[in-house]
Amino acid sequence: MGFVGFVEGPLFYIAAAIFALAAAWRVFGLIRMGRKPDISPPKGSATAGFIKGNLRHFLPRGMFARRTWIHIVGGYAFHLGLFVLFFFGAFHIDFIKQYLGISWTPLPRWGFILASEIAFAGLIVLWVRRFSDPVMRLISDRDDHIGTWLTFLVMLTGCLALQQSHEVLRGIHMLFVDIWLIYFPFSRLMHAFTFVLSRGHTGATYGRKGMNP
Amino acid sequence: MQNTLLTSARTSVGKLGTGLALLLVLLMLFGATETYAQSVRAPGNAVNLDDGIEDGPSNALGDDSQSDFWRNFRGGDPNDIKQMLEARPEGAVLTTTGQHWRELRENYIRKYAGWFPLGVIALLLLYHLIKGKMRIKGGFSGKTLPRFNINQRVSHWFMASVFTILGVTGLIILLGRPLIAPYLGKEVNSVLTSASMQGHNLFGPLFIVALVWMFIKFVRGNFFQWVDLKWIFKLGGFFGGHVSSSQFNFGEKSWFWLVILVGIVMSGTGILLLFPWLVDDLRWLQLSTILHAGGAILLISVLFGHIYVGTAGMEGSIDSMLKGEVDENWAKEHHDLWYEEVTGKSATEEEGTS
Repeated sequence: MGFVGFVEGPLFYIAAAIFALAAAWRVFGLIRMGRKPDISPPKGSATAGFIKGNLRHFLPRGMFARRTWIHIVGGYAFHLGLFVLFFFGAFHIDFIKQYLGISWTPLPRWGFILASEIAFAGLIVLWVRRFSDPVMRLISDRDDHIGTWLTFLVMLTGCLALQQSHEVLRGIHMLFVDIWLIYFPFSRLMHAFTFVLSRGHTGATYGRKGMNP
Repeated sequence: MQNTLLTSARTSVGKLGTGLALLLVLLMLFGATETYAQSVRAPGNAVNLDDGIEDGPSNALGDDSQSDFWRNFRGGDPNDIKQMLEARPEGAVLTTTGQHWRELRENYIRKYAGWFPLGVIALLLLYHLIKGKMRIKGGFSGKTLPRFNINQRVSHWFMASVFTILGVTGLIILLGRPLIAPYLGKEVNSVLTSASMQGHNLFGPLFIVALVWMFIKFVRGNFFQWVDLKWIFKLGGFFGGHVSSSQFNFGEKSWFWLVILVGIVMSGTGILLLFPWLVDDLRWLQLSTILHAGGAILLISVLFGHIYVGTAGMEGSIDSMLKGEVDENWAKEHHDLWYEEVTGKSATEEEGTS
């Protein structure tokens, strides 16, 4: 078995299994923790607060918007770009079809390139802000940088293989995908799943007290 | 008698000759003898297609001369730069500028381009070995001044990141064949070049975004002033002596405008290379590759100087781009006019003495 066969075969299955099991374990763990019983009479709906908390945090509070516009633009550019390039890239849809048997209409090549550029621009902005802003630098640790760089390398190696001229380039991309999948559940990359619970918890707590989350 | 006849005959022949000559001149003047105006006489065994071969092609050259025909056929004079910039002549079938472009690229650019950045690195190393790091004379004061806000810092590092990716991938594309293939093999070079080409094409448009962002954030304060002349005459203080400067010194301003102006050329030529169907003349693309490579080598070479002064070469410089603040003593020493402008204090007087 060659390098490409290994990273697309056994290593990928192992990485995908670790990703799925460990991420599910962490999410269930958070749900099982629940929250402390609140004996005070509710003044509002916790469920509505959960939903509101999730939705309202998509937009920054007025006083933060001006100061952190780079972060907001960078954050949205990266996450939306990544979503589009991952779920609507023709290669990714082929890959998903190969393993799950489902597929949908992919973006044309120019759309994929545009989404990639937006995602890269956003990710670079987020990372350089992390070390050039004193506060961000203070609250960032090794995990933040490793997560950012792994994601960057997964995206970069994928784009470098776009010409499909050499199998080894796809193999390198898959190697980084495998590493990323293994690293994901044990890092802050888990925020892709936990942000709903985190925002929801805050929202539900405030909502029950009759406050805007 | 004989003499009279001979003289008469001579006179008649002379008049006839003169008359024929005049007729010939007249015919030439009216253009009736155009075919005789060709400078090349056909060889004795040449076949005139108009004579005897009724079905063959006739007048194949039209009204053009041989040299005009071939010049037009190949698309103009490859040594004439003005013709390179003009549209392809009407009816041109091929261009020979490609051969000249290839020779220029292979024999000069690929051969010597790598030496420029290496030369700059060597000079910087030599300077560092002789002069060492430029220390802040009074040491760190512990008091800082804000120099660049977060938007400026992020735009700077965004440009730095994109430029690094473009620089590395671009150098592989340009110099892979002479530098990578002989040592690591053609297969490795092929893989790296294919990957680099995709990366370069992908990040190219981001360079334009970074360039515009940088321009907006840094243009203020980067216009040249009279005080910059002193900086030039004192060689920026790199060989001793104090040099006054405002927020940006002459070196920084030159670097800024070099990035912006060469960056515009790089963006324009890059767009043409990325979307070659925008032009219908191949020579635009040939010219673009030359300008693109030349601009890149220039920027990469000067970039090393910028990196050196911003990090190992000058104490306290990196803080301006990492923290956004600089030490007051650093500001007094390297940007005294700016220090006086933002603090309202004299840069030469000690604290508490004024």
